Amino acid sequence: MRTRTVSLALLFAVVAVGILLLTRPSLSPTPDGSSDRGSPTADIPLSSIVEGDRFMRNVSTEPGTVHVALVAAPEHMALIDGVRSDVYAFNGRVPGPTLELMEGDRVTVRFRNELPEPTTVHWHGLSLPIDSDGSPLDPVEPGEEKHYTFTIPTGFAGTYWYHPHPHGATTSQVTKGLYGAIVIRAPDDPLPESFSERLLVLSDNRILSDGTFDFTEPTTAQGQIDFQNGREGDLLFVNGEITPTLEIRSGEIQRWRIVNAAASRVYRLAIQGQTLLHVGSDGGLFEHPVEVDEIVIANSERVEVLVRGTGTPGSSTVLETLPYDRYMPQTRPADWNQPRALLTLRYSDEPPLTPEVVPETLRPIPYLDPADASATREIVMAQGMINNQLFDMDRVDVSARLGATEIWEVHNIVGMDHPFHLHGFQFQILDRNGVPEPFRKWKDSVNVPKKETVRFIVRFADHPGKWMIHCHILDHEDQGMMGILEVTEEE
Amino acid sequence: MKASSKAVKFAAARPLVVTIGLGALVSIGACTAPAADENAEVAIDPAANASVERGRQIVLHHGCGDCHGGFANPDSPIWMAGVMGPLQEFAVPLDFMNPSFAYPLDESDPSYFVTRPRNITPDDETGIGRFTERQIFNSLRYGLRPEETPDVEISSTVPGEGNFPPVPRYLAPPMPWTAFRHMPDQDLWDIAAYLKRGVRPVSNEVLESEGPPDFWASFYADPMVGFGSYPAPPFPTEKETRTP
Repeated sequence: MRTRTVSLALLFAVVAVGILLLTRPSLSPTPDGSSDRGSPTADIPLSSIVEGDRFMRNVSTEPGTVHVALVAAPEHMALIDGVRSDVYAFNGRVPGPTLELMEGDRVTVRFRNELPEPTTVHWHGLSLPIDSDGSPLDPVEPGEEKHYTFTIPTGFAGTYWYHPHPHGATTSQVTKGLYGAIVIRAPDDPLPESFSERLLVLSDNRILSDGTFDFTEPTTAQGQIDFQNGREGDLLFVNGEITPTLEIRSGEIQRWRIVNAAASRVYRLAIQGQTLLHVGSDGGLFEHPVEVDEIVIANSERVEVLVRGTGTPGSSTVLETLPYDRYMPQTRPADWNQPRALLTLRYSDEPPLTPEVVPETLRPIPYLDPADASATREIVMAQGMINNQLFDMDRVDVSARLGATEIWEVHNIVGMDHPFHLHGFQFQILDRNGVPEPFRKWKDSVNVPKKETVRFIVRFADHPGKWMIHCHILDHEDQGMMGILEVTEEE
Repeated sequence: MKASSKAVKFAAARPLVVTIGLGALVSIGACTAPAADENAEVAIDPAANASVERGRQIVLHHGCGDCHGGFANPDSPIWMAGVMGPLQEFAVPLDFMNPSFAYPLDESDPSYFVTRPRNITPDDETGIGRFTERQIFNSLRYGLRPEETPDVEISSTVPGEGNFPPVPRYLAPPMPWTAFRHMPDQDLWDIAAYLKRGVRPVSNEVLESEGPPDFWASFYADPMVGFGSYPAPPFPTEKETRTP
């Protein structure tokens, strides 16, 4: 985690703006005041922001209601030791502050865009009204504000994240530092509170010696690689730090929530000398824990794992990312086949604890019956395109009826992986290349490896509107590898 | 320039002969059995079929099958089905723009990269079935890979203008699109019609071609390199003459 060291001037500015704006009763009232919403007219002073705070601060005193303020602004701060960069930061922090919520919470985020360019805040993976999705159709202009309001449904406990989604500029804004985590908890969480939680937000970057971000022109050889692969960086950050050390006690069980916030890097996570208990993915916990050696986590995906302190006191091991070949042969980075360390896991000198028992049953996942599907759709991803088309704000690519259950077949016809993301609706994978998915889980993004097909089932239960479908390699999204799903109430 | 194109041809021609004799015919058998009703009586659109049949003539006399499979025999089981084995691949010298490159070919030499004629039957999964005839047209006229070029009408050869992609992705060498692009529009549409509607799909997965990352910015497209430009300069150029 990095925070600004010199932020007084901006803090004063933010406070001043906050006081000025407070005199207005409502900044951008949302017309629809259905029960789905939080409270768009809530007084959320921007002065409640504490620069560099790890969490967004809830200023509401009403139970079940969360009111937070969020500002995106340019900052001059060090992402790596010894040099400062011109970054973009949420509330003066990279990564942005974590938004902590409970199922059932009615949430209002007062967002202010202090950037010199339009932006949005997309609440990745959440079920929310279309005008709070922060999609490219709904930009917030420089100096403008927007209230994002939504209610967290039961069953959505899990790890999510938020990031900008302006068309054509998502890569640069996320790369400059705009990304943060959302943690949603359930009142009936099956995992004991004694499993201490760790949040790991993964990202990468390339920074030149003078602190500027290394963005390339597509006409150069590296630019070709970045354009095809999406821009990867040699610097691997965990919560903004490079190879930080994390402590664990022998016998202890820790619950790690991991977010892949990298623009295009796919991680293949493993801890040397240990297995992992995989307990959850994008939409929260599985029905049962699964023991694994490694986990592939593509762009925008999340995982929850239990890390068991099986090492001896005083020893240490490494969380690393193993080689994963998502590339075309031409564009494989030179070091793609080298494992990279992400963090050091150090065992404290304390005597071992007696390991607690991990529950065998976590929570039920509802069954979506393919027999209920009213349509089967084919989505074809080629390099930079969906269904042979580039993104067009004015074109609807797929129309679905509100309430319909559908099966989507997502084909990747090219020799590079493409992680597919559906806004607004979580889905369950049926099969991959015809091989049935071994167990049910809620997903909002799925990596479709080169030349493979993933089928999933989804129910458009609520929230009509125009929702994005896209490749979550951010460069590809910016290039136009995105389409629009319109969920309509009409026949 | 002469030396380099020769190298490409040599590298390909030698293995092609061997492969077709050995493995390819065997490996394809399982993929081509047509569904029982495919030869049933259907209404024939004469105009559409005229285009398909013209396209077949052009595909035959342009030697498409020499690389994409079947030579000039449309009854071949590997007709248009792309690479069936490593011996049909092309080894392209990394420095093949440099006339002084060394021959003979040493396949373990990292200064060569491998390109592969694609499956151009209309199979959805492994061929061109998912691309439109317009995307096929654009690939023959402009050398643009259909996997990366939207289904739009292109009216310019300047990147970023007239729907020409701002960062174009070109077909791998030695696909001679720089010559084919000079064919009349209708000829290219006919080829597209034949490949999409006149050939039976064959399921044959062809691996991506390799190459240095900047081969996407194809040397073919660089007018300085000598493959010419589209449209061609007016006749006669300095090297041409009218009959007196």
